[in-house]
Amino acid sequence: MESYRVDVYNIVGGEYCIEADVGQKVFEIIEKALTENRKVIISFRNVTRITTAFLNTAVGQLLRDFEEDEIKSKVSYEDITDVDRMKIRRVNQTAKLYYENPERMKNTIEDILGE
Amino acid sequence: MSRFALLNIRPSFEGYQQLINLYEKNKGYHLGTLELSIHKWFSANLSSALGGILDKLKEELITVKFSQMPSKTEEIMMKNGFLYYYSYPKLKDYYHTTIPYLKLKPTDSRTFFNYIDKDLLNREELPDLSKAAKEKMVDSIYEVFSNAQIHSDTKNIYTCGQVFPRKHVIEFTITDTGMGFKERIRRSFGKRIRATDAIRWAFEDKNTTKQKISGGLGLAMLREFVILNKGKIQVVSDNGFYNFDSKGETVKEFYGSFPGTVVNVQFRTDDPNSYSLKRETDNDLY
Repeated sequence: MESYRVDVYNIVGGEYCIEADVGQKVFEIIEKALTENRKVIISFRNVTRITTAFLNTAVGQLLRDFEEDEIKSKVSYEDITDVDRMKIRRVNQTAKLYYENPERMKNTIEDILGE
Repeated sequence: MSRFALLNIRPSFEGYQQLINLYEKNKGYHLGTLELSIHKWFSANLSSALGGILDKLKEELITVKFSQMPSKTEEIMMKNGFLYYYSYPKLKDYYHTTIPYLKLKPTDSRTFFNYIDKDLLNREELPDLSKAAKEKMVDSIYEVFSNAQIHSDTKNIYTCGQVFPRKHVIEFTITDTGMGFKERIRRSFGKRIRATDAIRWAFEDKNTTKQKISGGLGLAMLREFVILNKGKIQVVSDNGFYNFDSKGETVKEFYGSFPGTVVNVQFRTDDPNSYSLKRETDNDLY
């Protein structure tokens, strides 16, 4: 299977990956490549700062549209720090829970009211 | 003419209550003139919250004038640039203890990034803070900023900070004048809850008001860092006050409401923690 390299710095147009709507642009390219049955290498070369808000849209949404096993086998990361890997892990784990049951959020509000 | 006096304003419940009183007593005073005096002390980082309130009043064409303030306060608020917005000149900050007051559009991220890099991250006054702690601190600030961008629907975001070298502390404040936590929950889930419950809910890991996209990590991660750094977080949103520090979490309700949200974070600058993390492979990311 051919690989497609997603150069985040180039898509974002700079070293800061902060905003959710910029993450959406990255997501759309990853999604397109996966739909075309490509392996995807997401490169964060020259990126200096990444927020979870950016990652929620850029990669978290993949867990809504693709099976986890498919993502694991096709998506890899390059040039990323340990701290940012930790953020990706938390974003993915949050996304899994969220997309399994989007109604969960309503229940958490009931929980805080019921305390 | 309306006169209002702020007395000894610090980042505390009482300090924020006075700022809320300023707003509540003067809103609706269409086309009037407000003469504002400051007495004893005003914590410079709270220029962020004051800027937000005064702009809300100016939306009602209220003219704001400063009538009196302690010379030390005036000097600091000229150094951090806040009073420049009220026709005062700027003063050079030779001691580098101010982190400038910045008022920016929510879309103007680039200005904010440059400001954080130049005025916070690359300061020479943070020698005892490990590189990892600095990174975590800046990450936390970006998360708060992106929350204001995404959720509040605010016209402007106001930020300001202050360095206290002898106390080894940085205070940094981000204010928006959009909808608060309570209103976001009402719009997303149709639930009416108290502002204090809404803030506590937002700090729980994985809780988000975003529709169709997961989230809710930013504030949880900020709190985790503040625990390790032994710092402090305060949130003022509508009539809710939330304080989190080494003693735990406290909530209180104000008389009246802040027209938006203030997040004030205190970071310890003598934090040598290296915040090392185990190396994760791509497969560990799920």
